[in-house]
Amino acid sequence: MKELTKIEEILLLAIWKLKDDAYGVKIRKYVSQIVGKDFTYGNLYSALSQLSKKKYVQKTLGEPTPDRRGRRKIYYTLSPAGVKALKTARDMNQKMWEGVSDYAFD
Amino acid sequence: MNRRHPHPPRIAGWILKRTARYEENFAIIGDFDEEFQEVARERGALFARFWYLRHCLRSSPVFIKDSVYWSFIMLKSYLKIAFRSLKKHKGYSFINIFGLAIGMAVCILILMWVLNELSFDRYHEKADHICRVTMDIELGSTLHTPVTLTAVGPALVRDFPEVVTATRIDPPNRASVKYGDKLFQEARVGYAENAIFDIFTFPFVSGDPRTALEAPYSAVITESMAKKYFGDEDPLGKILRINNERDFSVTGVVKDVPPNSHFVFNMLCSFQTYLKEGDVRDDQWFDVRFYTYLLLDENIDIKNLEQKLPAFIDKYLGEAMKASGGSIKLSLQPLKRIHLYSDFERDMSANSDITYVYLFSGIAIFVLCIAAINFINLSTARSSTRAQEVGMRKTLGAVRSRLIGQFLGESLIYSICSMVLAMVLLKLSLPFFNSIIGYGLRLNFVQAPWLIMAFLALAVIVGVFAGSYPAFFLSSFQPVRVLKGFLKVGTSNSHFRRVLVVFQFAISIALITGTLIITRQIMFMKNTNLGFDKEHVVVIPGMNEGLRKSYLSIRGELLSLPGVIDVGASDLVPSRGHLVGSFLPEGFADNQRQTLDYMDVDAHYIPAMGMAFVAGRNFSEELSTDQDESVLINETAAKKFGWDNAVGKRFVFRPPPGQEGETTYVSVIGVVKDFHMQSLRKKIEPLIIFYDSNNLFSVSLRLAPENITHTMDLLKKKWGELDPNRPFNYFFLDDAYDSQYRGEERLKNITFSFSFLAIFIGCLGLFGMASFTAEQRTKEIGIRKVLGASVTGIVRLLAKEFLLLVIVANLIAWPLAYWAMNRWLQSFAYRTGISPLLFGFSAVLAISIALFTVSYQAIRAALSNPVDALRYE
Repeated sequence: MKELTKIEEILLLAIWKLKDDAYGVKIRKYVSQIVGKDFTYGNLYSALSQLSKKKYVQKTLGEPTPDRRGRRKIYYTLSPAGVKALKTARDMNQKMWEGVSDYAFD
Repeated sequence: MNRRHPHPPRIAGWILKRTARYEENFAIIGDFDEEFQEVARERGALFARFWYLRHCLRSSPVFIKDSVYWSFIMLKSYLKIAFRSLKKHKGYSFINIFGLAIGMAVCILILMWVLNELSFDRYHEKADHICRVTMDIELGSTLHTPVTLTAVGPALVRDFPEVVTATRIDPPNRASVKYGDKLFQEARVGYAENAIFDIFTFPFVSGDPRTALEAPYSAVITESMAKKYFGDEDPLGKILRINNERDFSVTGVVKDVPPNSHFVFNMLCSFQTYLKEGDVRDDQWFDVRFYTYLLLDENIDIKNLEQKLPAFIDKYLGEAMKASGGSIKLSLQPLKRIHLYSDFERDMSANSDITYVYLFSGIAIFVLCIAAINFINLSTARSSTRAQEVGMRKTLGAVRSRLIGQFLGESLIYSICSMVLAMVLLKLSLPFFNSIIGYGLRLNFVQAPWLIMAFLALAVIVGVFAGSYPAFFLSSFQPVRVLKGFLKVGTSNSHFRRVLVVFQFAISIALITGTLIITRQIMFMKNTNLGFDKEHVVVIPGMNEGLRKSYLSIRGELLSLPGVIDVGASDLVPSRGHLVGSFLPEGFADNQRQTLDYMDVDAHYIPAMGMAFVAGRNFSEELSTDQDESVLINETAAKKFGWDNAVGKRFVFRPPPGQEGETTYVSVIGVVKDFHMQSLRKKIEPLIIFYDSNNLFSVSLRLAPENITHTMDLLKKKWGELDPNRPFNYFFLDDAYDSQYRGEERLKNITFSFSFLAIFIGCLGLFGMASFTAEQRTKEIGIRKVLGASVTGIVRLLAKEFLLLVIVANLIAWPLAYWAMNRWLQSFAYRTGISPLLFGFSAVLAISIALFTVSYQAIRAALSNPVDALRYE
């Protein structure tokens, strides 16, 4: 299995954390907050479609709201493969940062 | 605007809708809208609108990039499916690809030929302003010819400022050319004035185009001829001896004349030579030998100038015309029209005809149509197998446009495979095609990028065209119906397929019939009794003056050779031209001169050729008066003048108008049985034959049929002694006569090849159809067998349907072929009838080929085990 890119890792984590509220607007806000700059919808959906092609996420249709002028939301949830990929990423991160003290770069 | 829900900017919304091509399109716009409302509530509508626009613009490049990326992914999937279906149905795929490839190869081949035909003479820079003078002479009968009066060219330049310059051309002819010990027979040695280089574009390699042909006894040769005679030496100033009579010095070398010219030469001699020798004078009106080409001012309308020509003729020839009761009309023919629109007698080169261009373009389109039709045919026939796939795809969410794209794509893959195959086929078949049409078409993909473009364009057009039916038809299936297995290929659809099969078989049958009729006409022309015996006659043309003077002793020496039966001499021989003159038979008024062909012979020519007398006697060497006072005529001439007993009738020879002299008479001493001087396309013309020992340019020898090779060796040796300065040049009369039908032979070969191709492609289509039907009716056949049907019964059942189609095709093809071939036969004065047997033959041929094609599938289906058939679901 290929490693996740950083942005995929962030996205998968976001979807996991947002649980039942993981749809476009929320994910974008969360990611923008993490990376510290405005993350565009273009990059968001480009990455999301890659993730769904790799079967890391599953899509379900949500309810339309007046703010969305009748357009349904698409909710994303992690697939078992997505969870596994995240786990691998975490293990890798831990190994990578092992032995580096929390204050090493201060 | 709603206060609670401000509206996002329309343009941005539009951009978003267009660019976000994901399946999530609606959700993306929804997300944008939702966040827009949120921002609007927090920071105001205006800010929100800017926010929306900014995000939209920043996102759309990524959206676009991604949609391109995803469509490639889809394309990959389409390709994969296409190749899988290609592999799965190998037989069908082969038929499809191969049939299309043949159609394409033929189409491109003909396209190349057509373009070559249309390119004739167009390379001359001033081609638009060049024309040649043509002439209609009316003197008893009409002569329509591009050979004009000698004085016309100079007089036109003098009288009309719009004529920039003119040249007379003595058409390139055979001549022997000698340099040192190099002696060759050259095919194209002509004479022209220097203005030819102002008019036409013949690039000079060396020498000065302004003066090259100014002086008498100067000559311009082509590059390849210079190489042949002088090798690497400088050709300028070298002396070439022509026909062992005149010496010419080379003053220029031009590039070889391109083959797509109506006027090709290896050597042009100065026309001034004729003028200097006094053979030709610039003011000579009644001299019809040369072609006249004009260069017109750029702003002149040809028609305009043409209208002034009657007055011009009247000015110079009015008097003379009145006296003789004839008329001369001059016309101007634009250079670009010469190759395809000429119908002249005595033209410089055998021109083509625009009808052939149309005819073959039509055939090309036909063959391509047949191939494309097969493609459509097979694709629709296969639609039921693919219908399941379509149903499945639709259920899984494929949109119709995607399906259309998929089927069009598949058909494009097939057509591009065909294109590659067509290129290979073309490369392989080109030499064969060239030998049929007698051309040097060459296939060079590197030098002619248009060819590849043409191939590609053709592939795409045919692919889209052929794929569109299955694409739109299949994609319109209702998934539920298809998956439930209710799909039945509609009856209208199968009607359509039947019509296609009938159409292509009709074409094939018409072509076969055409080939048969052409073959019969050629056989007829070759075997008809010509009025003389053309077999075993060898002709030695081009005797020069010295030889003509000593002809009598030469004849004696030739006769003494073993194997030579008889020797005669004449100015012309059958099949190699004819001369037309106007004569005044006794009993006609002076202004009723009659047009007759004429020829000069010696006393032995007519018996040597095996020509027979109807009345009177032959010329005699013993009677000295025969040379000046006697003539022979043919039967047609006697009939024309109403002379029942022609012997003793006379022709009147008046002195030329304005000149002193006595009126003389010659009397008819014999009537020759009609013989064909020209090909059987032409009627036998009235002919008058003179006995003139000064004009005998060709010797004809009748040889004993045994040991011809040995006799020819002896003859060659003997002739080398008699005429040591020229190569021994001869031809056999039957070859020369038959070669007049080369055009017809070529047509036969072409229709034969096309009918072969058409039937081949048609059969491929029929084969595919038959196998499809057999497959479709597997269950039916199984049940029939279980219930006791015999193998022959089933084969008959399957074959019957197709045979009926072929019979209908016959009924359509017959009138078509009859009409076309009847029209073609009209161009022959002597022709065979169209025998009904030929139609019968082509019908039997077509039916047996169809039967053979169908029976393989039919028998296979009939022999199959009914258990397999009934289990196939």
